[in-house]
Amino acid sequence: MNKKLFLIIFICGFTTHIKAQSSTIDTVAVSILDNMSAMIGDLTSCSVTVNANYDVHNQELGLVKRSNESQVFLQGPDKLLIRSEGDKGDRDFYYADNILTYYSPTRNHFAKIETLPTTVGMIDTVSKQYGILFPAADFLYPGFVDDILADAKNLIYLGITKVGGKDCFHIAGTTSDKTFQFWISDDAFSLPAKLVIVYTKKDLNPQYEAVYSDWKINPVFPDALFKFNVPPNAMKIKFVPVSKRK
Amino acid sequence: MIIPFKIKFTVTIYLLIIVAVIMPQVSSAQRFSHPTNEGRGNVKQSASAQQNHPAASPATTGRGNVRQSAPAPQSRPAASPTFNRSEAQPPSRSINGGSQNFGNRNVNRSTTVNATPRPVEPKRTNAPVIENPRAKEHRSTTVRENVNVYHSSNIQSHPYSYHPYHPSSWGASWHPIGFIAVTLARDAFIFSLANRQYYYNEGVYYQPISGGYTVVSAPVGAVVGSLPDGYETVQVGDDYFYYYGGTFYIGLDQGYQVVDAPTGAIVMDIPDGATQQNINGEIYLFYNNTYYEPVSFNGQDAYQVVQVN
Repeated sequence: MNKKLFLIIFICGFTTHIKAQSSTIDTVAVSILDNMSAMIGDLTSCSVTVNANYDVHNQELGLVKRSNESQVFLQGPDKLLIRSEGDKGDRDFYYADNILTYYSPTRNHFAKIETLPTTVGMIDTVSKQYGILFPAADFLYPGFVDDILADAKNLIYLGITKVGGKDCFHIAGTTSDKTFQFWISDDAFSLPAKLVIVYTKKDLNPQYEAVYSDWKINPVFPDALFKFNVPPNAMKIKFVPVSKRK
Repeated sequence: MIIPFKIKFTVTIYLLIIVAVIMPQVSSAQRFSHPTNEGRGNVKQSASAQQNHPAASPATTGRGNVRQSAPAPQSRPAASPTFNRSEAQPPSRSINGGSQNFGNRNVNRSTTVNATPRPVEPKRTNAPVIENPRAKEHRSTTVRENVNVYHSSNIQSHPYSYHPYHPSSWGASWHPIGFIAVTLARDAFIFSLANRQYYYNEGVYYQPISGGYTVVSAPVGAVVGSLPDGYETVQVGDDYFYYYGGTFYIGLDQGYQVVDAPTGAIVMDIPDGATQQNINGEIYLFYNNTYYEPVSFNGQDAYQVVQVN
């Protein structure tokens, strides 16, 4: 009887401890992110330049900073073009007609996979299966703000600061495995200006930082922009799923 | 106290069960997890399928005004991208199917008191508005003598031509400075400039006050996505400006930016709230820190922006 009572008390105490962990969610921060998400959700097309810097773990040197610049083009719910230049060389991603094509101009090889019929669906599936992280992709998820709230221990509005000389709303938050900061432009369009993530559960706390600039709202792109034509002598390769990598 | 092995084992099992239960099932597709996207990514969606979106809640509104189909001036690039809400394509052509943040915003969490002043959430009711308390204010004329009046050196200066001041209005949605509204339209969006919160709707700028919102002068530097129908294009030398409701704008790729009134600009209408000043024996109007000289322009009564020192 005493043993059972001890168990019951212990378990109740444990679950109470879990519920007692509090979090701070600033409704102003939520409102700003909602505005941003609503704006993105209303776009029928857009383009943006993403300048990213990210830490890569090096056995001898610790963390090494790498960078790339991407031009991202989106049209409707089912067309995407990303052109990246950076430390991993030039890389392009074309998505149209349910097919994602990866092309490396540096190595002149390409790979294709048939995937889902929407850009968001493709991004979600491909990143899980192949480990490909697309620039600015998180902001595209329709439930982005709900996703943040589902995970965030804290979400705070810090005030207005400048990114690239432009006023932005500065928001910071934490989850169990990272801290993050958003800068959302303080203008009529409320689009992302900057993102910083620090992975607190990984060795040496690597960072990812991206600046979003030169947003173009609802431009008209020719469909041909998103179609990949195989260049002469290009070699076809295969995507290797994450599950099959050594 | 020595805990028997049987108890330790049982407790361990319970702990493992509890941990397994409370661990969230999330998809970590990108840098953030997206649990709300679970199941959505594997469903085939027709490109033309209409997405079900809830009516915009106060938490998700706050975007710019509708751009009216006014002709663009010659100097603006024809390919300038614009945001047109009323002419937007059906939701199914949205780049992500439309924002779908349905979560409960009144979470059971403590909220901190942020040192930064918070905007007042616009009330979405049909409460009556309060008339402009300044509307019936007696307009006295300030007399100034021995004052220099400057016209722009490279803009044609029109001769002074007095005509009575008849305040103009820009439609039912427009209100002059000082007007107090209890509520704002659902379309009003909030922005900050120089640490001050503003609301913008249909060419009018508001700031929250106790019990409502008051119309204020447009803050120089603010950028809005569109201007309402009825804006004028004003050419000053080689430059083009836009004028609406007593405010001047320049065109940007991303919209329109509030600027100081350009010296030499000619406009036909000045809003309610201007005061008269007798400068060197002639009547000028003073509105929103700008002096306007009554002139005749193409045979019509007009006003030209001048500098007065």
